[in-house]
Amino acid sequence: MNEFVYLPENLDEALEIRASTGAVPIAGGTDLMVRYRRGSGIPPQFDFPVVLIGKIDALRYIEVSADNIHIGSATTLTEIFMNEDVPQILKLAVGEMASPAIRNVATIGGNIGNASPAGDTLPPLYILDAKIVLKNLNGEREVPIEDFITGPGQTILRSDEIIYEVTIPIGNFDKIYYRKIGTRKALALSKVSFSAAVNYRGDVIDDMRFAFGAVAPVVIRSREIEGEFKNITFNELKNREGEIAQKYSPLINPIDDQRSTAEYRRKVSLRLLKFFIQNVI
Amino acid sequence: MSERISMSVERVDAREKIYGEALYIGDYRFEDMLFAKTVRSKVPRAKILNVKIPALPDGYFVVDRDDVPGKNRVKILVYDQPYFADGVVNYIGEPILLVVGPEREKVFEIARKVEVEYEEIPPILTIDDALSGKNQPIYGDDNCFVDYHYEKGNVKNAFANAETIVEGEYETGYQEHLYIEPQGVAAVFDGEKITIYGSMQCPYYIKRALAECLALDEKNVRVVQVTTGGAFGGKEEYPSLIAGQAAVAAMKTQKPVKLILDRTEDIMVSTKRHPSRTRYRAAIDADGKVIALDVDIIFDGGAYAGLSDVVLQRGMFSAAGVYNIPNISVHGRAVATNKVPTGAFRGFGAPQVFFAIERLFDKIASKLGENPVDLRLRHAISQGDFTATGGIMRQPVKIPEMVEKLEKMSDFRSKIGKSLPGDEPHIKRGYGLSLFFHGCGFTGNGENIIAAEAKLKKHSDGKVEILVANTEMGQGALTALRKIVAETLKIQFDDVIYELPDTDRVPDSGPTVASRTTMIVGGLLKKAAEEMRERWNEADEFEIMKKYHHPDYIRWNQETFEGDAYPTYSFGANVAEVDVDTITGEIAVRHIWAVFDVGITIDEVLMRGQAQGGVVQGTGYATIEVMEAQAGRLLQSTITDYTIPTTKDVPLVECAFIDNPYEYGPFGAKCAGELTLVGAAPAIAAAVENAIGREIVRIPIKPEEIIKKLD
Ligand SMILES: Cc1cc2nc3c(=O)[nH]c(=O)nc-3n(C[C@H](O)[C@H](O)[C@H](O)COP(=O)(O)OP(=O)(O)OC[C@H]3O[C@@H](n4cnc5c(N)ncnc54)[C@H](O)[C@@H]3O)c2cc1C
Repeated sequence: MNEFVYLPENLDEALEIRASTGAVPIAGGTDLMVRYRRGSGIPPQFDFPVVLIGKIDALRYIEVSADNIHIGSATTLTEIFMNEDVPQILKLAVGEMASPAIRNVATIGGNIGNASPAGDTLPPLYILDAKIVLKNLNGEREVPIEDFITGPGQTILRSDEIIYEVTIPIGNFDKIYYRKIGTRKALALSKVSFSAAVNYRGDVIDDMRFAFGAVAPVVIRSREIEGEFKNITFNELKNREGEIAQKYSPLINPIDDQRSTAEYRRKVSLRLLKFFIQNVI
Repeated sequence: MSERISMSVERVDAREKIYGEALYIGDYRFEDMLFAKTVRSKVPRAKILNVKIPALPDGYFVVDRDDVPGKNRVKILVYDQPYFADGVVNYIGEPILLVVGPEREKVFEIARKVEVEYEEIPPILTIDDALSGKNQPIYGDDNCFVDYHYEKGNVKNAFANAETIVEGEYETGYQEHLYIEPQGVAAVFDGEKITIYGSMQCPYYIKRALAECLALDEKNVRVVQVTTGGAFGGKEEYPSLIAGQAAVAAMKTQKPVKLILDRTEDIMVSTKRHPSRTRYRAAIDADGKVIALDVDIIFDGGAYAGLSDVVLQRGMFSAAGVYNIPNISVHGRAVATNKVPTGAFRGFGAPQVFFAIERLFDKIASKLGENPVDLRLRHAISQGDFTATGGIMRQPVKIPEMVEKLEKMSDFRSKIGKSLPGDEPHIKRGYGLSLFFHGCGFTGNGENIIAAEAKLKKHSDGKVEILVANTEMGQGALTALRKIVAETLKIQFDDVIYELPDTDRVPDSGPTVASRTTMIVGGLLKKAAEEMRERWNEADEFEIMKKYHHPDYIRWNQETFEGDAYPTYSFGANVAEVDVDTITGEIAVRHIWAVFDVGITIDEVLMRGQAQGGVVQGTGYATIEVMEAQAGRLLQSTITDYTIPTTKDVPLVECAFIDNPYEYGPFGAKCAGELTLVGAAPAIAAAVENAIGREIVRIPIKPEEIIKKLD
C-alpha cells in the first residue's frame, strides 16, 4: 500500500532503505507512476514500498575522467541532451524521446531500470559499451549493460542495490547513425530503432557496431557478427550486405502489438541496416 | 475577405482559457458531493448471471438498473442503450452499475472489487460477421440498424451502355475525438428538480432524455453547460448517457453526484467515428463521361444504434461527391457489432464516403489516362445541376475558381499524378487533390423537425442578450453569434451578452452540431436583431423570438430520399504534398493547401482556426490515428497509443476562402466547421499513391501497409 513512500535525504540513506525494506526506487516516475496510475487526481497505488531517489544530488552529475564519461543515474534526459561531453549518438536518441516536459524529469537510470525493449537510450548505450555501476551498502559492482538487462523488464539488480552510474568509455566514431521509427514524430514510443557507429581508416573499416531496439526481448548487438566484418573495405561491405543481413536476421525476434507488427519491425530493421551499408557509409 | 463582418475580433473566451481561469466540470464542487465510478462489462457479449457487490461502507452506494425511476434506455433517435445494463452486455465497457461515495479513492477501490459473472454469447466482431447471419443478431433480424436505398435515373441502363466500368473498394478506420477534456457531468437533485452541469454540445438532448429516464416532468429537468474543453461531435449524444447515470445516482442518494471519465476509460467507451467499407462501380461512356455510379456503403455502428441512422444518411447523400452524375444508386447499411457504439464526429458520415469517391475518381483518371484535375473539373457539379438525391444545386458553385486559386497557391497541376524525387534518394514525393462539400445544417427534414427557436432580449441598460441553446466548445460560437447580433444592431460587440446555455433560460435552438450554429441559429438571430433594430425604442425591455423553417424552395421526401437533402452546400478543395520514406514506409505530410467556400466568413481568424484544425484532424485520420479492435477490445486505448498529430507531425497548412454569399445565411455565411476535415484524407491518400505508384484504398495509411506494398 501507499504507506511506504521513503524520502531519503542522501545516497547512504537511500541504500539503507533499500537494504532494509527492498523499497523500489522511483527517479522521475515517468514509467512507474504511469504504470500504477489509478484515476486522475488519485495517487498511484503500489503494492510495494517505494523510495524516491530522483532528487538525490549524489546521483545527478555528468563527469569526465581520463577514460570515461560518468553519468549519475538520476540525471535527467534534458541534462544529458544539453551536455557537451555526452557522446553524440546517445544525444540523438535522447533528443527524440518523449517531450520536453517528460525529458525534464525522466532519468537515464529509469530508462535502464525499466529495461523495456523499446527503451531508447539502450541501443546507443549498447553501442558505446556502456557499463552500469550498481551500489549497495557494501560497495559497488560494474557490469556491461548487456549483462545487466536480461529480458523485458528484467535486470540483475539486487533488492539492496540501486543503479548508481552509467560509465561510458571515451571514444570517437567517424560515422554515427540513429533512426527511431515511432508511432509519430514526437511523444512516441519506438516501433523499431536502429543505431550504428563506425570507425575507419581510408576505406577500410576498423570497427563497426550496430544495435537494434524494440525488435527482440532485449536490444540486439552482436559483437560476433561485428567481428566478422572488421578490416574489410567499404566496397566489400556493400557487396556482402545480404550476408550481413542474413546473420542479423535470426536475432531479430519482434512481436505484434498495438503499435506495429512483427513483420514490419523485422523488415524495417533489415532495411535500415542495408540502407546504412549502401547509402550512409 | 471583403466583408466587414469577416474582420476579426478577440475571441471572448480566449483570455479566461489562456489564463486558466475557466472552470470546467472537474473544477466544480458541490456541498456533500459524491463521486461516481462506473463498473463496466469486461466481455464483448454476454448474459449477466450475477453481480457480487462487496460490503459497502457507510455513505457508499451502488446504483444500477433497479434504481432508474423511468425508462432505462437513453432516448437518442430511438430508445437506445440502457443507462445500466439490463441483464445483457453488448460491448466491452458497457456500463453495468455505478459505485458512488464521498471519497474517490474508496469509490474506485470498491468498483474494482465488484465481481460480475457472465455467460458469454458468441460475439459479432466485424462487418462481415455482422452480415453473415452466423451468430445471433444484435439488432433486429438482419442485424442492421438501418438499411436504405435510393436511386436517381436508371443505373441499370447506364451500366448496360457503358464503354468502361471501373470498380473500387475503400475502407476507413475508427477515429477517436480525443477532445482535451474528457466526458464529465454533475447532477444535483433538490427533491423535485434535477440539474445537470456538464461538458456537452446539446443541452436539450440531455433534458429530453432525462425526463424519460427519471420520469420527471420536463420542467423539472434543468441542464446547464459549463466550459467545454472540445467535443468534435463526441459530446453530441454521449453525455445523455452519463447525465442519466449521475442523475439516477443523485436521486437515489439525495446528494450531488459527479461522474467524470478518466482518459483511458473515455477512449474505450465513448463514441467514435464509424469504420466503413464502401464499394463503387462506375459506368463510363465512350466520351469518358461517368454516367452512373452504383454504390454500397456499410458503416460499423457498434453495439447500439445511437446516431448511426443519420450518420449513414449524410454519408449516402455524399455518394456522388461534388460531381454531376446523372444516374446513381446508393445502398447503405449501418450494421451492429459487439464493439463500442460509434456516433457523431465532425463530418458525420461524409468523410468516409468522400474518401471513397475521391479515390474512385483518381482511379478513373488513371484508367482513362487523364489528368485527375481535368477529370474532376469535367464532372464538377454547377449551379442548376441535380444533386445525388435529385435536389437542385441552387447557389453558384465555384469549383473552377477554387481549383484555380489552389493552382496559384501551390502550382500543383504539373506535379500531380506522378512520383517525384524528394530531398534524398530514398524519399519519394507526391501530390494529391480532393474536392468535397458539406451539406449545411441537419440532413433531410431535420431542421424542420427541430424548428429551432432563438431569442434576443433587450435589457433596460441597452445591452442585448442572446438566448439560445447553442454551446461553445472551442469552435467560437460565443464570438461569432455576438458579432452577428452586434453588427446587425450596430451596437458594440461588448454590449451583447451570451452566456453558456441553461435550459431554464434559453429556448431550444437545436443542438450544436451539423455546422448549423452560425448559419441556422445565427440566421435566426440576424432576423431577430433586424426586427429589434426597428423596434428599438418601443420599450426598455423586450424579447424577440424567431423560429426556423426551411426556405420555401426546399423539396424533400424523407421516405424516398428524393429532393434537397440540404438547403445549401459549402465546398472545399485541398492539395496535399507528402513524402514517403521508402526504407521505413513513414509518411510525412509536408504541406496542405486548402481553399474553402463557406459563403462569407463571420470572422476570418476564427475561420482560419477551424480550417487549420480541421485539416490537421483530417491529416491524423489519414495517417497516424490508428485504432483497431481485436476480439472486441480497442487496442489503442491510451493517449500514448492513440496518436494524434503533435506540432512536429502537423503539415504547413495554407488556406484561403472564396466569397460566395448565401442569401439565407447571416451576412451570407454557410456552414464551415465540419467541412474543413473532410478533404485531407483523400488528398493525402492520392499524394501517397502518386509518390509510391501503388494504389491506396484504406485509411489510416500505415507504414506497415506501405512496406508490404513496396516489398
Ligand atoms: C509521455 C511519455 C513518453 C515517453 N516517451 C519515451 C520515449 O520516447 N522513449 C523511451 O525510451 N521512453 C519513453 N518514456 C518512458 C520513460 O519516460 C523513460 O523510460 C524514462 O527514462 C524513465 O525514467 P524515470 O526516471 O522517469 O523512471 P522511473 O519511472 O522513476 O523508473 C523506471 C524504472 O526504473 C527503476 N529505477 C529508476 N531509477 C533507478 C535507479 N537509480 N536504480 C535502480 N532502479 C531504478 C524503477 O524502479 C522503475 O522500475 C515515456 C514516458 C512517458 C510518460
